[in-house]
Amino acid sequence: MGVRRKMALRFDLIIFTILLFASPVLSDLILSKVDRRIDLTSQIVRITSTLKVENEGSEPVSEVLLAFPDLQVKDLALLKASPHEGKGKVKSLSASLPVENVKPNGMPAALTFYAVKLPKALGKGDSYTFDVLAVFAHALRPFPEKITQADIQLVVFQESAFYLTPYVVKVQSLSVKLPESRIESYTKLENTKIHGSEIKYGPYENLPSFSYSPIVVHFESNQPFAVAQEVVREIEISHWGNVQVTEHYKLVHGGAQNKGEFSRLDYQARPTIRGASAFKYLIAKMPPRVHSVYYRDEIGNISTSNLWGDSKKTELLIEPRYPLFGGWRTAFTIGYGLPLKDFLFELEGNRFLNITFGSPMNELVIDNLIVKVVLPEGSGDISVSAPFPVNQWEETKLSHLDLTGRPVVVLQKTNVVPEHNQFFQVYYKFSKLSMLREPFMLIFGFFSLFVAGIVYMHVDMSISKSSAAYLARLQWDEVQAAIQQVENVINRCLTTHDKLEASLRDLSRTGDVQACKAARKAADGLLKELSKELKLVLSFLQSSSAASQILPKVEELVAKEKDLQEKVMAKHSTVVDCYEKKTGIRDSENRVAAQQQKITALRQEVENLLELIDEI
Amino acid sequence: MAPKPITSPVPDAWYPTLSVFMLAIGLFVTASFFIYEATSSRQNRSLGKELITGAVASVFLGFGSLFLLLASGVYV
Repeated sequence: MGVRRKMALRFDLIIFTILLFASPVLSDLILSKVDRRIDLTSQIVRITSTLKVENEGSEPVSEVLLAFPDLQVKDLALLKASPHEGKGKVKSLSASLPVENVKPNGMPAALTFYAVKLPKALGKGDSYTFDVLAVFAHALRPFPEKITQADIQLVVFQESAFYLTPYVVKVQSLSVKLPESRIESYTKLENTKIHGSEIKYGPYENLPSFSYSPIVVHFESNQPFAVAQEVVREIEISHWGNVQVTEHYKLVHGGAQNKGEFSRLDYQARPTIRGASAFKYLIAKMPPRVHSVYYRDEIGNISTSNLWGDSKKTELLIEPRYPLFGGWRTAFTIGYGLPLKDFLFELEGNRFLNITFGSPMNELVIDNLIVKVVLPEGSGDISVSAPFPVNQWEETKLSHLDLTGRPVVVLQKTNVVPEHNQFFQVYYKFSKLSMLREPFMLIFGFFSLFVAGIVYMHVDMSISKSSAAYLARLQWDEVQAAIQQVENVINRCLTTHDKLEASLRDLSRTGDVQACKAARKAADGLLKELSKELKLVLSFLQSSSAASQILPKVEELVAKEKDLQEKVMAKHSTVVDCYEKKTGIRDSENRVAAQQQKITALRQEVENLLELIDEI
Repeated sequence: MAPKPITSPVPDAWYPTLSVFMLAIGLFVTASFFIYEATSSRQNRSLGKELITGAVASVFLGFGSLFLLLASGVYV
């Protein structure tokens, strides 16, 4: 009772002001039919009005004005006009009609006007039907404002039964759809009918412009009043194949405040009676092929969540750590990754990201939404195209393997409802070569390690250049070099021996004595050179004092090698002789057998010595 | 002209395999670099051979570590 009286007083004041300044109807448009449907089944109020506009004057008109009281306009989140699709026709995603905020002259105060531009001007006698969708956030006021855990949550909604418009309305009707719960009270005017949870006002005929009749509906609503005070949505693009979305939420229950105690026992035992107004979970609809979804808050991971998806969409159900009653808050972060090819495209040299703007949560009202799009380093020429006005500015973010930071485009919007979850595009230019910057940074890092190693090995960092230990080390380095040379030479000798053996085998296969002799000559020459080199190194080793320990072994090695050389040569000549004289195979083998034994034994000894010297 | 979706230059599914192979090759070349450093004497060492071995090793290690980061989910 007190509610209605207070409300009625306020609106009477408005009507008075309006009628005081009521001006005659502007242009010659009349609204021949107005059907309004108000959807109060969730915390977001959606008013769909179907207007049939007719031009009774002679001048063509291309604009229709929509009027809203200022008090309502501050809750207005979205206003959209589209051509009317008849019942039964498939709803096409046709372009909506442009709507803009205008300030016409001679209008009553405390009203805000929006002009809808018709696709083509209406001539005399023409009519046109279009739909207007107005979405309001925070339009349902909880009344009483504080309730205990056991009370039911009642909210109040105020509207006008007559459509507030600067034109004359011939026929109009209004239907208010309420959730399937208790209706406390509603204004009863003439022609008011109630069917279940739907209240119908109308039809009203031939009402003058700016006519207004306030109605108040007081009803129970147990829909989740999830209001996010701030949502920061960060979208990071990596050209290596991933779009990472991180969303930080600060959630509050926007319904009637909870007063008194909270009894967990009562809530768990009978949640529908003790805590009907609380909500326990939220559902988010995400695109398909989403991966690596996480749900955490400042404490850590929250495990009460469910994820399931198919090829068309993925649904995430999250439960905060406690059920949210009126006025309670919670804060959490949700993150997920999306495949790059679903969202990043290339067109005429420009790349653009095509992704949804709002939060994927169902029926969530966001007071302040900040969307940050982080583009890879090296992107230029950044521009944004969004289907509704947003505030925009740029920042930088330092992330993995960055030198100067990645450019970030920040978009901000207040009063965001799920209808704002449309696609927007961010255009930028990026050259393919810039992708190589990251591996080159890693390669350069590793290469500097190797260079440091090389420098360490080459630089002589000893403090005293004349100490005994330093000088001894220098001499030992020289000896080592000499020994390596010796080893090298001996190895080459051994390969020459192998070549000789191979020529013998060739002889037995092909019978070409000349080739064998030629090989023998070549081997002879080579071995002579190698022995000359050996002599040089040996003389050096004999002169240096540091090599005194290893010198006997080296000399032994050289001597053995010479022995081996002679024996191999001898064997070679025997075989060739036998072949020339054409003695039998068995004969030649007998002669060679003893030599061969000695050769193999000697060879083994040489190799053992080599290994020994190597280890020192 | 319809917009063309952009994908990464290397298919996603190859990241783990590529990272293992490149890191293995890179580590082999690193090992040969260090063996050369340890066994050669001061006079026999050649700076060119050292630098080339180091360069090849760092290329393979660089790419291998990049693919390792990508395969483990750090999309740099």
